[in-house]
Amino acid sequence: MTSPTPSWEAAGPVHRPEDPAPGRRAPRRPGRGARVTAVVLGIALIVTLATAGYLWQTTTAWEDHAAEWESEAQRYADEVAALQVELDGVTAELVAAREQLDTATERITELADEKAQLGDENVASQQYLDYQRRVSEAAGVVATALEQCTQAQFQLIGYLENREAYDPADLDRFGDDVQALCNEAGEANEQLQQELAQ
Amino acid sequence: MRAPVRGALAAAGVAVVAACGTLPDMPPSVPADIVPSVAAPSLDAAESGRLSPDGFDAVQRMAVRIRNVGCEGLSTGSGFALDATTLITNRHVVADSESLQVNTYDGRDIDVSAASTATLADLAVVRTEDELPSSPELAEADPEPGARVSVVGYPSGGRLTVTAGEVIGTTTDPLNENLGEVLVTDAPVEPGSSGSAALDESGRVIGVVYAKTTDGRSLVVPQSTLREMLDDTSAFTPLPAC
Repeated sequence: MTSPTPSWEAAGPVHRPEDPAPGRRAPRRPGRGARVTAVVLGIALIVTLATAGYLWQTTTAWEDHAAEWESEAQRYADEVAALQVELDGVTAELVAAREQLDTATERITELADEKAQLGDENVASQQYLDYQRRVSEAAGVVATALEQCTQAQFQLIGYLENREAYDPADLDRFGDDVQALCNEAGEANEQLQQELAQ
Repeated sequence: MRAPVRGALAAAGVAVVAACGTLPDMPPSVPADIVPSVAAPSLDAAESGRLSPDGFDAVQRMAVRIRNVGCEGLSTGSGFALDATTLITNRHVVADSESLQVNTYDGRDIDVSAASTATLADLAVVRTEDELPSSPELAEADPEPGARVSVVGYPSGGRLTVTAGEVIGTTTDPLNENLGEVLVTDAPVEPGSSGSAALDESGRVIGVVYAKTTDGRSLVVPQSTLREMLDDTSAFTPLPAC
């Protein structure tokens, strides 16, 4: 393995067989190291330029990308704002509708209750009317029976004042009939009084 | 000389390749649609109960008010729909009636076609000509003590009312109207609440209110008894007219 010879060694005092005679200076040639360095630097420059170009393209692309996203974000932000306004409006309408629904259901419940109470009152009134009718009918029956009883008693008194003109057995039987009639009138009256007492 | 150069070049190449890895990639294209897909909104439990044709929830829609026009007077009670044309109430609500008049939560009149009463429980079944607005489900089992309960009916013959409480326990029927045990709850009831449905938190029927104790507790025929009665076709007999 040969060791590299730095370019500055040519200026040294070392004599070599191929060197010209001492005291005469050899012409200076660019060293291999310089060429390598130049190549490396060239490659580095190319790589750097390529990288810079790539980075420039990337940056531009990302800028466009960011701009598109910003545009999208702005569009959606506008859309969100519009929807928010719409949502607020719909929410307000919903709240109002719910309040109206609550009021309506409350009113329906009240009306149903009022109708039920009126129905109860109507039935109670009808039952009371039926009761009054029954009482009136019963009172009429009692009055008629009492009147018949009274008339029969007057008739019996008339018969008794002229007792000799009638058969005693017929008078007794008529008296029993009058008593029965008056008893029935009394019972009807008693039932009426009980009905009225309820 | 060549080896160092090659090494340097190799190192430079490696460095370049490594450096390329650190370079940013080109941006992807902006997607055409970036709106995320979201699940359809749903109402919570409190709001879903309002989903009905008229704003009344199912609990209110199933309740009915029963007017017993009797030969000796007038009385009112409560009931609830079991299906479209059948409602459940108490025997003592429909007893001694000349006619029965049924009203729904919204005041509609429902014609009654027939009524029958149970002999071994304070229960009655009323058949209707018209369809009832809504009917609940019966719970699968009787509730445990501490379970929440709500009662929907017409206390004192007034407006439709929902009261809430808890199941306290069970007891033998102090009125001797029912075989077996009955439920005791602290849900407030009044005369007129008889026949009201007692519901669990899911709105299922756990029993039928039939009485109130002197200390303000309500007595409920459990749904198990109701099921037994309904399963036994001979348990109910036609309601005699007064």
